[in-house]
Amino acid sequence: MIYEIFARKSRGEPLRHIGNLNAPDDELARVYAFSTYDEEKWFDMFVTPRDRFIEVFNRLDAEPSDRAPATSERGA
Amino acid sequence: MSAANAEAGSVTPGREAAKAADLPEDARAAVRDLILVLADTKRLLGMRYGQWLLGAPELEAGIACASMAQDEWGHARLLYALLRDFGDETDRIEHGRQPAEYASMDVLDTEPSDWPGLVAVNALVDTAVTVQLAALTESAYVPLRQRVQKLIDEESFHEAHGNAWARRIAGAGPDAAARMRDAVTAILPGVLRWFGPDSASSRTLQEASISNGSDSDLRRRYLERVAPLLQVVHADVVSMEPDFTGFDEHRRRRTDRAPDERTIEQVRGDRNRAFLMD
Repeated sequence: MIYEIFARKSRGEPLRHIGNLNAPDDELARVYAFSTYDEEKWFDMFVTPRDRFIEVFNRLDAEPSDRAPATSERGA
Repeated sequence: MSAANAEAGSVTPGREAAKAADLPEDARAAVRDLILVLADTKRLLGMRYGQWLLGAPELEAGIACASMAQDEWGHARLLYALLRDFGDETDRIEHGRQPAEYASMDVLDTEPSDWPGLVAVNALVDTAVTVQLAALTESAYVPLRQRVQKLIDEESFHEAHGNAWARRIAGAGPDAAARMRDAVTAILPGVLRWFGPDSASSRTLQEASISNGSDSDLRRRYLERVAPLLQVVHADVVSMEPDFTGFDEHRRRRTDRAPDERTIEQVRGDRNRAFLMD
């Protein structure tokens, strides 16, 4: 199962997506998240199975015509 | 209380010692032994983790082994450095000893032959060292006390890794479960023996407020802590009273064997001697 990892450096900061990993269950996912991403001094860290993400909307699906220059939306 | 006011070796029980010279003589020898036991055990434990970086059953477990190996080696260095306060030459201790001189836990003498073996070491040996360190968090020997909590914090996920894997293997069918149980029962008696026979030096450590428990106290605390794991893998504790025949109290290990030569060559860094500059 794929897990996504989030962390932040301080309480006031928004959570940041820092990576993902494979684990068979939540318990090992916590351990692996710690051993893989602990080099930095995080304030807190969270791990969640990717399939628990509930999509609210997705601009590409909603407006197929926007699909081509996806990056231009942000003016990048 | 100032150490400067106290004559060397005159610290009374319950008082603090800022340096080894402030400890009573018998306590000084016992603390020195204990630090070497912890340092050597952590170094060998780190080697055993290191030998599984590439052999673990999944990438993330290999990364966890790398991380645990790094922790153990870092802790060992920190503990070896403490021995300077006792007049030891840390360079000789780290790079100049024969296998028979090591004070590492004897169940670490050989590399685990399979993954359940490494998981058993991870869950049982790592946790035993943590229980021993936890008995020193209020130690009257200040340099030790100042370091142990950091070590305990840094190794907090090791036990979780060992337990999670033991549970996983134990639940992966009868063959896997039997291998996990065998791996645990093979080393458990040695780990229980490691806490020691309530020797005179362990009483000294308690009387000088270095440790907050006797060898038997620590053995009991340890068994309480690993009880859920033993239940998961269906391992029985055969005896709370270990066999101390041939047990060296100072090095806290049996003396009829030693860590394997090849591992000690790597531990000492023999092949890197030419690059050591100081």
